Amino acid sequence: MPTVIVDGREIEIGAHERLNCIEAARRAGTEIPHYCWHPGLSVVASCRMCLVETGSRDAATGKITMVPKLVPGCQTPAKDGTVIVTDSPLVRESRARVEEALLIDHPIDCPICDKAGECLLQDYHFQHGQPQRRADLQPFHSRRRDVGPTVTLFVDRCIMCTRCVRFTREVSGTAELMVTSRGAKEEIDSFPGFPLDNKLAGNVVDLCPVGALGDKDFLYQQRVWFLKREANVCGGCATGCSIVTEHNQDTVYRLKPRENPHVNRWWMCDDGRYGWHHLHDPARVAEVTRRAPGGESAVDWPDVVSRLRADLAAAGGLAVAVSPMLTVEEAWMLAAVAREIDPAALLALGPVPHGGADETYPGGFTIRAEKCPNRRGVEAVLAHFGPGISRWDDLLDHVRSGRAKAVWITAAYPGPWIDAATAAAFAGLECLVVQDLFASPLSDLDGGGAVRWRLPAVGFAERAGTWVNAGHRAQCFEQAIRPPAGVWPEGRLLWNMLGRRGLYDPAVIRREIAAAVPALTVLGDELPATGLDLRIFQLAATESATHS
Amino acid sequence: MIAPPVPQRKVLTDDMVARIEALAPRYPDRRALTLPALHIVNADLRHVPLEAVVEIAAVLGLAPAEVQDTLTFYQFFHQDKPHGKVRVFVCRSISCALRGGDELLTGVCRKFGIEPYGTTVDGELTIEPAECLGACDFAPCMLANDDLLRNMTPETAAAELVKPRARAT
Amino acid sequence: MQPFQPVLLEAVGIPDGHGLASYRSRGGYAPLEHVLRDKKPADVIETVKASGLRGRGGAGFPTGLKWTFLPKDHPGPIYLCVNADESEPGTFNNRILMEDDPHQVLEGIVLSAFATRASTAYIYLRYEYPRSWHRLQGAIDEAYAAGLLGRRILGSDFSLDVHLHRGAAAYICGEETGLIESLEGKRAWPRIKPPFPAIEGLFRKPTVVNNIETMACVAQIFRRGVEWFRSIGVPADPANPRDPGSYGPKLYCLSGHVERPGCYEAPLGITARQLIDGHGGGVWKGRKAKAVIPGGISMGLMTESELDTPLDFAGPGRVGCLGLGTAAVVVIDDQTSIVDVLHNSARFFAHESCGQCTPCREGTSWSLRILERIRAGKGRLADLDLLLEMGNTMGMMPGSTICGLADGAAWPMKNAIKKFRGEFEDSIRRTNPSGWMVTDPVPALQIVGAH
Repeated sequence: MPTVIVDGREIEIGAHERLNCIEAARRAGTEIPHYCWHPGLSVVASCRMCLVETGSRDAATGKITMVPKLVPGCQTPAKDGTVIVTDSPLVRESRARVEEALLIDHPIDCPICDKAGECLLQDYHFQHGQPQRRADLQPFHSRRRDVGPTVTLFVDRCIMCTRCVRFTREVSGTAELMVTSRGAKEEIDSFPGFPLDNKLAGNVVDLCPVGALGDKDFLYQQRVWFLKREANVCGGCATGCSIVTEHNQDTVYRLKPRENPHVNRWWMCDDGRYGWHHLHDPARVAEVTRRAPGGESAVDWPDVVSRLRADLAAAGGLAVAVSPMLTVEEAWMLAAVAREIDPAALLALGPVPHGGADETYPGGFTIRAEKCPNRRGVEAVLAHFGPGISRWDDLLDHVRSGRAKAVWITAAYPGPWIDAATAAAFAGLECLVVQDLFASPLSDLDGGGAVRWRLPAVGFAERAGTWVNAGHRAQCFEQAIRPPAGVWPEGRLLWNMLGRRGLYDPAVIRREIAAAVPALTVLGDELPATGLDLRIFQLAATESATHS
Repeated sequence: MIAPPVPQRKVLTDDMVARIEALAPRYPDRRALTLPALHIVNADLRHVPLEAVVEIAAVLGLAPAEVQDTLTFYQFFHQDKPHGKVRVFVCRSISCALRGGDELLTGVCRKFGIEPYGTTVDGELTIEPAECLGACDFAPCMLANDDLLRNMTPETAAAELVKPRARAT
Repeated sequence: MQPFQPVLLEAVGIPDGHGLASYRSRGGYAPLEHVLRDKKPADVIETVKASGLRGRGGAGFPTGLKWTFLPKDHPGPIYLCVNADESEPGTFNNRILMEDDPHQVLEGIVLSAFATRASTAYIYLRYEYPRSWHRLQGAIDEAYAAGLLGRRILGSDFSLDVHLHRGAAAYICGEETGLIESLEGKRAWPRIKPPFPAIEGLFRKPTVVNNIETMACVAQIFRRGVEWFRSIGVPADPANPRDPGSYGPKLYCLSGHVERPGCYEAPLGITARQLIDGHGGGVWKGRKAKAVIPGGISMGLMTESELDTPLDFAGPGRVGCLGLGTAAVVVIDDQTSIVDVLHNSARFFAHESCGQCTPCREGTSWSLRILERIRAGKGRLADLDLLLEMGNTMGMMPGSTICGLADGAAWPMKNAIKKFRGEFEDSIRRTNPSGWMVTDPVPALQIVGAH
């Protein structure tokens, strides 16, 4: 195995790995500071912050010969025998000078800059910079201009790493950003009339190492040191980008992509990135209401557990729509509860929202037309319970034909998903339960003489469990924030309806699922942070109903 | 690269586009036509306005930002309005500076009543500082359109610059 | 001293010397005919290697050796880029070659393209040389018409297209990968190396970049022979196996404070003093030289006592200069302030820095602002230490930048302050009597000269 020596420590790297010195040093526990390098973009080696001393160790004699000058760690391959020195006086002085150079004209906007607390310029100044300013004292300019509808630019904070420009040329392929002018007068800009306006635009804010590029959505909303970070998965489409939900006091402030080489690499789309506002929409359904011939009443959550079961059992002829917004665990528990109440209950996949066509970008990133995160996971559960996998249309037939007497619709879609005409089909049911984020023609159906339940649903950041994306990858995530005012997530309600004790623990359900469903065997062990392809352990590929 | 379609060109003439396209066989990549295209437009219009950048980008299959990026790097193409019919570069590098280049620039600007980089009100003359013009044997020197003006003083320069002059190539 | 009979400059002064007929009458294109008929590309490379020709663009890299870096058996296309961007302050020999003997350059190009199996040669010509543009294009047209360019040159199997590509006044386009980026239509930000142009250059294909004067030398090597070329200049030091020698004639551009500025052809190795006194009529106005730039501003400064340094590839380095560079010798008399000289240099590099890498982008701008402040009478002695530190740390040689522009910016700073420190200190003390001793940062000048 090739051996690299970092500051005197030996580490082994894979025989076929192609690592640069930054990546190799990271394996040895040393972080080489850098601005312009990013694993998802071309190497330009222009910031010069990653300069290190390198050399090679002769395999036979062990003699080390150092290259007599500094080299950028980002463009220097780490091979067998490569010697990397990151902490010599030469390297330290070089870093201090780069920091000093970047700070000469940089407006010290920290008190009013969003990036404070997660700014590489700040961090490196304290870690690698020098304590005294040596350049002339001058008033700073801090101009702001919008480069597009969602991204703003504080021009003078820019350190010319060009990550944003390279992103628009290499990953989104839209080339809206440019460098203008030459030398110390260079600035980032977009061309007048051709703003930064593509669905991956928000990634340039992630890429910006300083506070130059900003999300208009997040600008001035929250100081980053107050944010707590929870690993999540985006619920916007079947791509299922790994994300981080950043929140404080049960309020989401922003979403960021989480690196996942198998799904989204380092990126996420703007639909997902800014698609959390529905969580805090005051129009959300927040209370349980039960409408019956006697009138409408609010119901406390603990009472929902028994009264809902009672109403459904009394009506008989149960049909359930299992939303592709639910987790695998929630789908399993819902199916189990439904079959407990009515062993012949129809279990159908809820409506699968579609929007346009799949959009694939030159860097490989794809936004899926299927705008829900877990169709595959729900289908795997439904296939197990059988018979076959029923779909929304099957459920509609069931309702229209009168075979269904009680219907429980789990929805949890962030936007409108059903029209009045389709909703009208449910008007004659004895018992209709609609569990959703917002009111809809279905939840507002006139009760007549029947029982109508309206239950709050929760959004992606308020749920814990597993989703399976379009690529058959199962990803687990924890709950990031609490839903509004005492609302029970579907998982908690179902756990209690199953009679389980204590707090809802998705891991317990996962293990039960793994034991029972061959297609979901991988859920038996803790999944890695980047998820796991369900098909890995499929010995007999039973592609029965889990095809796309 | 994505270039939005331009319904009709407002600035580039068919002749300009034909001259750009005539160069296409020289290069395996259309992006290489960028600088020649900028020169073709600049030679006719004495500037390259933003609208022209959009149209050049459409012809070459590039985004306007890519063309503008290249254009602004050179610090050479005027964009807001045409430069003078005669564009004068006054060398300010070491060999000319040693023989009065800086004084030549300020002197000749003063004679025509403009600041460096400025254009006379009649639109005839733009005077700009330039880096080494490669005529150090005739320092201090100036380039006025295609003509190298040698061993200039503010007085001889002023006399030269009022003469009629062919347009720049 | 015995004047050298011009070879590279033989056409200067000949009426219509730039025309095809004149060139042929002087023996031109006969070597090309001979080579195409009787030689193989490898033979041409060997000849050029044997001649000891080193690139005339500033780096002095052995030309034949550079050609061998091209990959063998590459399916092509291979490109030859001819660097006619000549922008190093003080340099104008390429201009004269292109204006007065464009066919000499062209013949060198065809020979070099044949050697390197290039199918297309682009001459990247700086914008500020319109006369060269017309002369070169005229010569190219004549050459095509005479079957010296285009398909099956002179009936051989070798075909070559030569295209003029016009620059737009950016010095960094003279850096070989800056030139390539500019030719490709992008901003001229030099590329990181590796890969080197010979492997991945123009349009990501193997590329050789050669200077105009180098091309002229190639033509003359094939006209007059390797022995002739090696009989001129300074032979390699037999005690030093890594010394490639300094062979052949060189065009020296002499300018600044001399009686007769001009381009003078002499064997490599002439000293600055010989050039100034023997060709240039001596320092002007009866004055003495304070400093002399040996090879374009990037090379730094020699003092008056260093003027007997031979101007070959090794000489200037021995007196602390960066190298021979473009052999553009600029004379600065003893009535000129060294502060003004360094300011002029700093202004040039700040204007021309491409802006890609931090130390050069910020360092050139910072050093200009410091020198502006010194010139405005608000300098401090501490400023000299800052400038020296920048000079010592900025550049491709210490590894802090991508290309050598930063080294060019650094060397004049280093040389000026080390060799003329006394003058700097006197000037600062004299012009800033109340503030020269301050070590803390001072307020910036509000007005900075346009750059």
